[in-house]
Amino acid sequence: MPKLTLEELEKIREEARKSIFIREQGQFKAKIIVHMGTCGIAAGARNIMNAFLREVEKRGITDVLLTTSGCAGLCSREPMATVELAGQAPVKYVDLTEKKAQEIFEKHVLGGQIVTAYALGIGSEKTDL
Amino acid sequence: MVNVTIDGKKIQVEEGTTILKAAAKLDIKIPTLCYHPLIEPYAACRVCLVEVSLRGRKDLITSCNNKVQEGMEIQTASPRVLQSRRLNVEMLLARAPAAEPVQRLARELGIDKPRFPVKDPQEKCILCGLCVRACEQVVGASAISFIDRGTERKVMPPFGEPSAACIGCTACAHFCPTGAITYEDKYGRKVIHSELYLGPATAIRVPIRQAVPMVPFIDEKACIHFKTGQCQLCAKVCERQAINHEMQDETVEVEVGSIILASGFKPFDARRIPAYGYGRLPNVITALEFEHLVNASGPTGGKILLTNGEEPKAVGLVHCVGSRDENYNEYCSRVCCMYSLKFAHLIKEKTEADIYDFYIDMRCFGKGYEEFYHRLLEEGTKFIRGRVSEITDLALTKEEEGKLIIRVEDTLLGVVRRIPVDMVVLATGLEPSIDHNQLAKTFNISCSQDTFFLERHPKLAPVSTFSDGIFLAGCCQAPRDIPDTVAQAGGAAAEALSLADKGSFALEPVTAEIKEDLCAGCKICIGLCPFNAITFDNEKEISVVNDALCKGCGTCVAACPSGAAQQKHFRDQQIMAEIEGLLLI
Amino acid sequence: MAVAKEKLYRLHLMVCAGTGCVSNHAFEIKEALEKEIKRQGLENEVKVVTTGCNGFCERGPLMVVQPGNIFYQTLTVKDVPYLVEEHLLKGRPVKKLMYQPPEEKTPVPVLSEINFFKKQVLVALRNRGLIDPEKIEDYIARDGYKALAKALTQMTSEEIIKEITTSGLRGRGGAGFPTGLKWQLVRNSPSPNGDKYLVCNGDEGDPGAFMDRSILEADPHSVIEGMLIGAKAIGATQGFIYVRNEYPLAVKRILIALDQARQFGLLGHDILGTGFDFDIRVVRGAGAFVCGEETALLASIEGRLGEPRPRPPYPAEKGLWGKPTCINNVETWANVPVIIDRGGKWFASIGTATSKGTKVFSLVGKINNTGLVEVPMGITLREIIYDIGGGIPGGKKFKAVQTGGPSGGCIPAEKIDLPIDYESLTEAGSMMGSGGMVVMDEDTCMVDVARYFLSFTQDESCGKCTPCREGTKAMLDILTRITEGKGTEEDLTLLEELAHTVKEASLCGLGKTAPNPVLTTLRYFRHEYITHIKDKKCPAHVCRQLNVYSIDPQLCLEKGHGCDVCRRNCASEAIIGAKGEAHKIDQTKCIKCGVCYDVCNFGAVRVD
Repeated sequence: MPKLTLEELEKIREEARKSIFIREQGQFKAKIIVHMGTCGIAAGARNIMNAFLREVEKRGITDVLLTTSGCAGLCSREPMATVELAGQAPVKYVDLTEKKAQEIFEKHVLGGQIVTAYALGIGSEKTDL
Repeated sequence: MVNVTIDGKKIQVEEGTTILKAAAKLDIKIPTLCYHPLIEPYAACRVCLVEVSLRGRKDLITSCNNKVQEGMEIQTASPRVLQSRRLNVEMLLARAPAAEPVQRLARELGIDKPRFPVKDPQEKCILCGLCVRACEQVVGASAISFIDRGTERKVMPPFGEPSAACIGCTACAHFCPTGAITYEDKYGRKVIHSELYLGPATAIRVPIRQAVPMVPFIDEKACIHFKTGQCQLCAKVCERQAINHEMQDETVEVEVGSIILASGFKPFDARRIPAYGYGRLPNVITALEFEHLVNASGPTGGKILLTNGEEPKAVGLVHCVGSRDENYNEYCSRVCCMYSLKFAHLIKEKTEADIYDFYIDMRCFGKGYEEFYHRLLEEGTKFIRGRVSEITDLALTKEEEGKLIIRVEDTLLGVVRRIPVDMVVLATGLEPSIDHNQLAKTFNISCSQDTFFLERHPKLAPVSTFSDGIFLAGCCQAPRDIPDTVAQAGGAAAEALSLADKGSFALEPVTAEIKEDLCAGCKICIGLCPFNAITFDNEKEISVVNDALCKGCGTCVAACPSGAAQQKHFRDQQIMAEIEGLLLI
Repeated sequence: MAVAKEKLYRLHLMVCAGTGCVSNHAFEIKEALEKEIKRQGLENEVKVVTTGCNGFCERGPLMVVQPGNIFYQTLTVKDVPYLVEEHLLKGRPVKKLMYQPPEEKTPVPVLSEINFFKKQVLVALRNRGLIDPEKIEDYIARDGYKALAKALTQMTSEEIIKEITTSGLRGRGGAGFPTGLKWQLVRNSPSPNGDKYLVCNGDEGDPGAFMDRSILEADPHSVIEGMLIGAKAIGATQGFIYVRNEYPLAVKRILIALDQARQFGLLGHDILGTGFDFDIRVVRGAGAFVCGEETALLASIEGRLGEPRPRPPYPAEKGLWGKPTCINNVETWANVPVIIDRGGKWFASIGTATSKGTKVFSLVGKINNTGLVEVPMGITLREIIYDIGGGIPGGKKFKAVQTGGPSGGCIPAEKIDLPIDYESLTEAGSMMGSGGMVVMDEDTCMVDVARYFLSFTQDESCGKCTPCREGTKAMLDILTRITEGKGTEEDLTLLEELAHTVKEASLCGLGKTAPNPVLTTLRYFRHEYITHIKDKKCPAHVCRQLNVYSIDPQLCLEKGHGCDVCRRNCASEAIIGAKGEAHKIDQTKCIKCGVCYDVCNFGAVRVD
């Protein structure tokens, strides 16, 4: 059995963290909420969710929280997602497609730039991450 | 060295001394129950608790195992100590009311009746664990241990079944302070009670009950020390330090001038006569067995009993078993008539039985012997002249049922009789000892036709052999009784002593000699010499005659093929010269 | 050694699979969840993870949905389809399955908001509910074996011991001996051939205690890592985990964990390439409480009779097979890695002046929130009982709390503001023990409590020494007689005498502490004893032999209309009365079983 070195142990730690970080109530840089009410699901919110998920997985990111919530109310514009960067106002994105989701992830979540083209509006409420 | 104070008295003791031993040095006796000097302390009974002050702390600790420390102030009977000691003893008294040491302690502490319920008033076991620890630490057998917890705790072999590991050493009984474990001697084996088990006889024992000298030996096969490396209790306990397990057998070579052979006899094996039923029928015993039975240190304590424990109502004594018999030994064994009469007398003394004596001739040759025979006649022993043909248990009539029937031709009456008895004693004859033939070979002694050693002359030299310096004494030469054996032994001793005493003695000059250059080393003469006088010199590869032993018989001279063996003063030339001289006349 | 890249899920369902929840069908719920998730096509998005004990045992079976920390309780298999559809698929957490505090109108969805969890500080239980105990990767992800790496590569043995000493960690098995000091003693003890041993005492025997069980089931690696660090500190090459055989799930999880640790090269030879060798063997107990005592435990490992031996010599000097041995409790070992990781000073910042860090307690008895809690030392009993524990069910009055199991004592209600630490509990006549906390209310008879605990210790006494063997039996007999109304004043005197001697003269901790429940109840509740003896009455009506049952004829007739239920249930035919009539109890036949009291729906049966 090849013995574990310190470096290998660290690597395993990093890898393993990626799959379990969502269990912790840690500090997140950003929060993405995909609205998965019945309307959302019918409109294909699942695919949007998976798209975001694949982005997180692809880039090995551990400080972005991806979660769901119920119907936001604006059923006609589903699929919808809310992106909230720490300390900033949440931004609602509407009429999403997988491609749009990837763009939003790259530009807004990682880059910090709101993609105004897909946004509905910027909310006034802030939440603690 | 460590300084401590015990009950106000100061003492200095070596480091590593236990409180118990330190107190003993001051003649302060702390009571103990589960402690023994030969075994590691267990600290279970808690009776030896003492109050110890050290560095500002006051604790109750056991004194049997705790070692003294510098500055300890020990109180062996403070109120705190006494309170716990009293309650402990009281509880033990309730558990084992019949245990003497506990009773004694209770009296000393002023405890009358325990305030706790008594389960078994006969209980002696105080669960001190000395038996278990002895078996493990001293003996190394580990055959018993504690089972069950709490108040159900008890000493047992594994699973409560007899343990193969128990070797019957009775160490457990020896160490038990209350006598809760007992054992008894049963037919040379020890039965240890308290649900422990039988084992072989003890490893260190006196070989037979009347051994001379009365010194024990160690049976290596049974000795624990040779099995487990432990125990050695016998050596620990022997005050004279007389036991040494490391002793080895030594082969010692001693150069002697004379040898006395006294290898004794063995009894005739009665199994060789199937008709007598020995070994098959119960209560048919040999004379030696009867001796054992009737001896006060025997299995029955000297009582004459049948195998079922009852006294016989009729006993038969059969003479000439294996003696005076064409089929077995033709000679008379000399002693049987007299010892059978002795038996008859003993049976008469000890029981109410009818005694039947079956003889051919009554050989009462010695001093007072005939008178003794006469006494037996008066005592009412029934003498029947005839050789017993058969002993059987096949009953033909009702009176014969359950009895041993002796079938004999009563030659004086001229009828064949069936005599029912309860016990038969066979007067087995004497034969040479087991190693007789080997001895004969080793010492080159001839045997007579009766297979006993051959003496030089039946009348004039009964204790000498044909080999000078080798003498005979006792039954190895012929069956004889004790007075005659003693007399002969004296004679043999005298002959041996006189040889040694002489310093020098005269030899016949007409001895043989072997010419070195003619001897071919064929060794024919060595085997022929009746006096063992020729030896072979391995280096020179020739035979050499020992002048001291050579009797000048001339056998080697006649046999020597090369003419190397010649007799001094009897040479061929001399004989020829003599013949010539005669012829010239 | 590469780890297969784990698939990323958006939801993890942390299903509690501690023994408590397992016995309540947790595994069946897990299977139902997986089935339902598959049926709904969510198997690539939702992962079901079984964890160790979550702690809120009163409300099991439990599940926490992450992210979001949504807490579900009292789940059944029937709830699963609805739960999966509503929450997992549609994103609408199911309110009716959430925890709702007794007097509140709305449920509390988030775990960290629930009172039971709020005041807890998780150190030994730091991975509670967050990892799958059968996956070493989960443990490593949460900084597992990081402390070991630090200890092996950046610290000397002396530095490790210094860190533990600074932390102020004291043995969590009950005695509270300073761990750093123990390690130093073992390190200093010479061994002729160099052998030194490490032992983890997992023979948790206190009735009702399950702290160690939870740690072993939920986070076995925390113990293994602790032992590895300890081994480096004292110079041991072989360790033993002694688990009681009555914990099959714990044994299973430890064996899996040991196996995985070996596979990862974290146990065995040349660990992490540092040349350090260490391995652990599991030894199972065989049903003896006394084998939790360290010298009896060592004897048991050696295959000898499980009974204690006098100390000195202490195991630190002469332990397993005569070699220096360091024995520590499961919880103690579980604290070690986090102390090395975050520093002794950090650990010492929690707790009181003499008792540092946290302690895991099993909160049981007459309490609303039964379960396992970890709290900082110094927290008051009041906080534990009311804030965390949710108070006494049925609104009954709090009477006393027994800490330390059968070796401990009762702390009466007046001392409810007592801060929990080793010294204050001992001063109050009790002890910390291994962490059992049994809450009692006005319906508890303190004499019966003493009798109950004593019956346990008496049964478990090994029987080697006289005072414990005979004394506990004698005390139990007296207490039983008192509860049956046959006690006398002399009995009380004898009881105290016995308690005193058994405490002073016994050989080991079992005997020395067995009289504690008796002594504390006598100290604080002597009046109850007197009532039992003089008045032949049990104030809490627990000692049935002393109860007098009677039927209020008015209530029986007016409320119950002579329903006859009591008479039909009376096994000794002691109730007289026909249907429609007021019933009456014949006291000469009544065996005081109390069944009539239980079955009467109208409260017409009175007990005095």
